[in-house]
Amino acid sequence: MAMDPMILLYALIGVTLGTAVGVLPGIGPALTVALLLPVTYGLDPAGSLIMFAGIYYGGMYGGSTTSILLNTPGESASIVTALEGNKMARAGRGGPALATAAIGSFVAGLIATLALAFLAPHIVKLALIFGPREYFALMVLAFVTVSAAFGDSAIKGLTSLFVGLFLALVGIDQLTGQARLAFGVPEMLDGVEVTTLAVALFAIGEALFVAGQGAMGADKIEAVKGSVWMTRADWARSWKPWLRGTAIGFPIGAMPAGGAEIGTLLSYAAEKRLAKNPEEFGHGAIEGVAGPEAANNASAAGTLVPLLTLGLPTSATAAILLAGFQQFGLQPGPLLFVTSPQLVWGLIASLLIANVMLLVLNLPMIRLWVKLLTIPKPWLYAGILTFATLGTIGMNPSPVELAMLLVFGLMGFAMRLYGYPIAPVVVGLILGPMAESQLRRALSISQGDWTTLVSTPVSAGILFAAALALVVPMILRLRGRGEVLSRLAADED
Amino acid sequence: MIRDLRGTGGRPQGATFLIAGLLAGLGALALWQGFALPDKGGYAGMGSGGLPKVVGAALMALSGAHVWAGLRGLGQPAPRVSPAPVLWIVAGLLAQLLLLKPLGFTLASGLLFALTAAGLGKPLRLTLPLGLVLAFAIYGVFDQILQLHLPAGWIETLVFGG
Amino acid sequence: MKHTLLGAALAAVLAIPAFANDYMIMAPASPGGGWDSTARSMQEVMVAEGIAGSVQVQNVPGAGGTVGLAQFASTASGDPSQLIVGGYVMVGAILTNESPVSLADVTPIARLTGEAVAIAVSASSPIQTINELVDAMKADPGAVSWAGGSAGGVDHITVGLLAKAAGIDPTKINYVAFSGGGEALAAILGNQVTVGISGVGEFLPQVEAGTMRILAVSTAEKWAGTDAPTLMESGYDVNVQNWRMVAAAPGLTDEQKAAVTADIDKLVNSAGWKSLLETKGWANTYLSGADFDKQLAVEIEATTAVLKDIGLVK
Repeated sequence: MAMDPMILLYALIGVTLGTAVGVLPGIGPALTVALLLPVTYGLDPAGSLIMFAGIYYGGMYGGSTTSILLNTPGESASIVTALEGNKMARAGRGGPALATAAIGSFVAGLIATLALAFLAPHIVKLALIFGPREYFALMVLAFVTVSAAFGDSAIKGLTSLFVGLFLALVGIDQLTGQARLAFGVPEMLDGVEVTTLAVALFAIGEALFVAGQGAMGADKIEAVKGSVWMTRADWARSWKPWLRGTAIGFPIGAMPAGGAEIGTLLSYAAEKRLAKNPEEFGHGAIEGVAGPEAANNASAAGTLVPLLTLGLPTSATAAILLAGFQQFGLQPGPLLFVTSPQLVWGLIASLLIANVMLLVLNLPMIRLWVKLLTIPKPWLYAGILTFATLGTIGMNPSPVELAMLLVFGLMGFAMRLYGYPIAPVVVGLILGPMAESQLRRALSISQGDWTTLVSTPVSAGILFAAALALVVPMILRLRGRGEVLSRLAADED
Repeated sequence: MIRDLRGTGGRPQGATFLIAGLLAGLGALALWQGFALPDKGGYAGMGSGGLPKVVGAALMALSGAHVWAGLRGLGQPAPRVSPAPVLWIVAGLLAQLLLLKPLGFTLASGLLFALTAAGLGKPLRLTLPLGLVLAFAIYGVFDQILQLHLPAGWIETLVFGG
Repeated sequence: MKHTLLGAALAAVLAIPAFANDYMIMAPASPGGGWDSTARSMQEVMVAEGIAGSVQVQNVPGAGGTVGLAQFASTASGDPSQLIVGGYVMVGAILTNESPVSLADVTPIARLTGEAVAIAVSASSPIQTINELVDAMKADPGAVSWAGGSAGGVDHITVGLLAKAAGIDPTKINYVAFSGGGEALAAILGNQVTVGISGVGEFLPQVEAGTMRILAVSTAEKWAGTDAPTLMESGYDVNVQNWRMVAAAPGLTDEQKAAVTADIDKLVNSAGWKSLLETKGWANTYLSGADFDKQLAVEIEATTAVLKDIGLVK
């Protein structure tokens, strides 16, 4: 079936449409798939399935392009990509950043799709072991490792993190339905949208900062420096992060309450810890793009595990995929692998073909994309701001949402001026609500007994790992204290 | 830890106290919310007020750390900023926010584009037409090809029939 | 198919003719939810069946649909081409969020689809019947943890109604709200909670696979696909249906309202809609006109009462 040229054409159309729409601000993967789903209806089942797979992967990939080039992540899963990716793009290494993202996505998609095909029924059993207490333990681990990755300066990092946690309080409390810090504004009942915050802090804060530097601005954007393509060193630094990102992203994506954000954050933290030169992080380390992008795509395939094996849509995108599958007569659920194996294998073959097509389409595009950065600064930033606000308007055309964009943009500007790290704010907003609700769910089920948090081997094990991650660096620091103190003394003026 | 707050200068600066004040304000808000919410923790023993109290207390402590750093003269120097371009961009964002509903996407976003590019050094007579054309094109793509509805004003209604 | 996206994309440069009865449907939720897929299904069938020339769907997410509802009520007034999708969840959200705009500020047209809420346990649970479950709650309400959807939503309301009907203090139920049906279902399957409550459609594939058991359904009649008893049959006076509806703008003339109702009527009776309901597994619970208005009033009153009992509304 894969050899049929029509099938390849459908895959190409699907990937092209998915990428084209996915790149647009304000249209995340969920809306991309929802918008393009009707396109597939008129085709024969095999053709529609494959075009659909192309749209899904294309839509997932489109978001990371804007993250890297314009610092405007279109969906929460590509926020982490912007951290290092945009720094690389500004240093003239946009080509390698886009390439490692595309190839990493391909590698992760390939491995994760195969894992989906052969391991799904087993993985889902593992995923079901995770209840509220295990998720809470996972969040604690994420908090500890991720804060360590961003915390070059303890007090400023903590300030940023707690400002993020403060923002996380806004909105309706999931467990009781009570409104917190919404002040009667209906738009605030759903809380602060993660992408709104990220776009405001990253893109708008950056634009204001660059403007504030005025004529003395030394911040030159170099479109291309060195090769557009990945060098041998880039390959050597990328392949391990791809594999690690896949290993982290896939299982977490397969967990019903996992999601792509945690996987990308954990992958970033892992890469920073394992990198040969961690000081490059924050200035455009290719590992920080390769790992999270692989994790992002692997978790996209991971989401299909509970969807196909249990019929559980665990994200908005998955819910739309479910509707799409039903259109093709494919009823996801516990019996799917038994009752309609041809359809499952058809889907998996489609995903693999779409994955290849995505790479074929996007690698040649990189040369064009990096040209964007040659646009003179005034036009480039005007365009970025138009796109950044369009993202918010497209998602939710409300003045309140735009006001948040402005306020957080000013906050991002001030934080840059005074050297407060920005990423921890976003981390607090992402992880805070998840950690809080899982903790309270666990406590509600145990009727207020806190020992429930360590009552299973899995949760106790993860919490122990988190404690190690917190304590070990401290001990190391204490041991090397003399050295550190002398260095501090030398810094004194 | 406090040492981290030190900038390159070393003179005590108002900014550190200002940040401390803002943090204290946020902390107070969170604490107030934490105590004001009627407790519906139910069987968990920790209701929706729990996290606000923790976050509020932490923000208060961080505010204190900033004050202490400011008193010790470990505050940061005010960075040099040229205010004019920043104000242009903020004006652009404000204009978009206020004009989006009454005038529609094209005029509001076109103005944002124009003011931003103008703030960064291009003349308005160039940026304004370009911004309007760009925003109008974006509206056309979203409305006609994607069938997604962006806020329409009189221009959009005139051309696309609303 | 001519005016679906493909048609539009291919004919992008050509002008698209304007029809007299174009519609704009607001889904007051993010893409992916039930209201969004209802709106998009309506779009698909209305265009395919020639009921409307072009139909746009707009997502305005937030606060159980009340953000979208407020925007709709203020901007669509008097415009017969605008519709909004909603449902039972909105009734509860209007109350719990103290929304200034309610369903009285729009023109409800019809109930389109509905689904029973089902109470289910994992196959390995010792609880066999709904009566055993209620007995366990009577003995120690805290020990029976319920996994369901958002606080104050239809699942929560159903548990409250059941407790009340069984003579248990509704404030004593141990209801654990999960975000989305998927996560709740995983918690039930993983034996993290005692019992789960969700739309019957979420449980049926699990029942078929033998991993879960439905104890009861919430509607007055038995639900197709399961022989589980209704709560009424089991001796608890509870009748809940999670329905979805469509409403038109406020301030319409009687003729305009009649025209919209006629279009919705055409939609519901079309072959396309029927086959779509079948693929989606939605039940047709079409109800329009005065009957729907009456039913709506009854449900708003009952919901207000139970939300007060649970303590979610003052």
